[in-house]
Amino acid sequence: MELLLQFLSNTGYYLVDYRNLIMICVGSVFVYLAISKQYEPLLLLPIGFGVLVGNIPFFKGFGIGIYEPNSVLHYLYFGVTTGVYPSIVFLGLGAMTDFSSLLAMPRLMLLGAAAQMGIYTTLLSALALGFTAPEASSIGIIGGADGPTSIFLTAKLAPHLIGPIAIAAYSYMALIPIIQPPIMRLLTTKEERCIHMPEIRQVSRIERLLFPVAGLILCCFLASASIPLLGPFFFGNLLKESGVVDRLANTARTAIIDTATIFLGFTVGASTQADVFLTPKSIGIFFLGAVAFSIATASGVLFAKIMNLFLKQKINPLLGAAGVSAVPGSAREVHLVGLKADPSNYLLMHAMACNSSGVIGSAVCAGILWSFNVV
Amino acid sequence: MYGIAAITAKNGWAMALAGALIVMTGLSVLALVISQLHKLAQLIENRRTAPAQPDTPPPAEKTILSFNIEEIKTRYGLMAQQLGDSFELTRLYHLARDSGFPHVHLSIRSLRETGQLVPLGDGMFSWQK
Repeated sequence: MELLLQFLSNTGYYLVDYRNLIMICVGSVFVYLAISKQYEPLLLLPIGFGVLVGNIPFFKGFGIGIYEPNSVLHYLYFGVTTGVYPSIVFLGLGAMTDFSSLLAMPRLMLLGAAAQMGIYTTLLSALALGFTAPEASSIGIIGGADGPTSIFLTAKLAPHLIGPIAIAAYSYMALIPIIQPPIMRLLTTKEERCIHMPEIRQVSRIERLLFPVAGLILCCFLASASIPLLGPFFFGNLLKESGVVDRLANTARTAIIDTATIFLGFTVGASTQADVFLTPKSIGIFFLGAVAFSIATASGVLFAKIMNLFLKQKINPLLGAAGVSAVPGSAREVHLVGLKADPSNYLLMHAMACNSSGVIGSAVCAGILWSFNVV
Repeated sequence: MYGIAAITAKNGWAMALAGALIVMTGLSVLALVISQLHKLAQLIENRRTAPAQPDTPPPAEKTILSFNIEEIKTRYGLMAQQLGDSFELTRLYHLARDSGFPHVHLSIRSLRETGQLVPLGDGMFSWQK
């Protein structure tokens, strides 16, 4: 009888805390959104299930939890805390990305840079709310709308905030269809949304081969701390464009990135253990994440409008919203909002150019912020 | 410490301003460089095709550059037949390049502009017979 009672006192039913139940509800919502609404299922499903796993109450000291040394989850989480998974994801991302549209219209790269202003505005807001500089930098990077980059920088600067920042970054990426269109419509007129972009010229193979090398050198010479992200990213792209290592390129954009995404999502979800995750700081991070994302979208759109003051060939300002690096969600939304304004207005290829520029921009920003906090 | 005092104390203004300027400058330079890449690519492509020029009569280049579209149509029409009713431009490009045709990009572009290559959607094209 005593053995039975002891066993029962070690079960989740006995150890459960209301905070675990809250997090289990959050995880269930993520799983629901991923499966039923298909909101970023590749991210939300592993994270959502990870949240469920991380919040099953357990008897501490058994080496079960993600924060307990020598537990299986702890070893898997190692890829997050060291920044290994984000680098691998970037390798696959590079092998997937086609830079042709960006190479055909290089001016669109400026929109990717402009959308990063959300990062710095949020950095200031976080500092004003009392966060330390490394914490504020990690929160600000949510404005880049790039999950792996956010996780990478947070792992380096504020590892204790990985859970809330990763969840905030991925949640807002999943909520792009809800967050971005109202901002786009608010900041543009119907005429602006109807601006047609010129047809994209053919880009030669040599240009596509030269770009990853030039991009790596220029970006990493400027912000060398972004090497762990941009190195694999441009390498993956060169694998793809070289055409001589199709097997490697194919593995990078399928098996490798998929494996990293599974472990990244699952362990980030599992890191949201209620006692670590449910703190006032997390609420502040969620609030600031929304601010960051909205400002990033707005600054891209507004910068496109400013560019139009000087350009003969006007740019559709909606494209600015795709300057955040949520690939391809924000490009898709820009395309859909453009189509709603004018059913013959196809912006997808141009929006993808801004999107890929945003990926580079947010990785450069991560490198810059890391450097600032180390110096 | 909160508010503007906290931003100032933690060097926030300098971080934000410098960070924004650096990323803006960096990506502007990258944009500038990639806007010139096509010139470098053209140079490399010309150098690659240079050894083949002795086999090709010099006037041929002149003809292509002056967009003798009828000649281009004849040449590319034969290749388009090999590719079937619908094909990707990359296949046509590779076939033309492997056949040693000069200025493949310019030729395909002029064929598109004159409506000889008809887009079918989804990246596929057909040859206007």
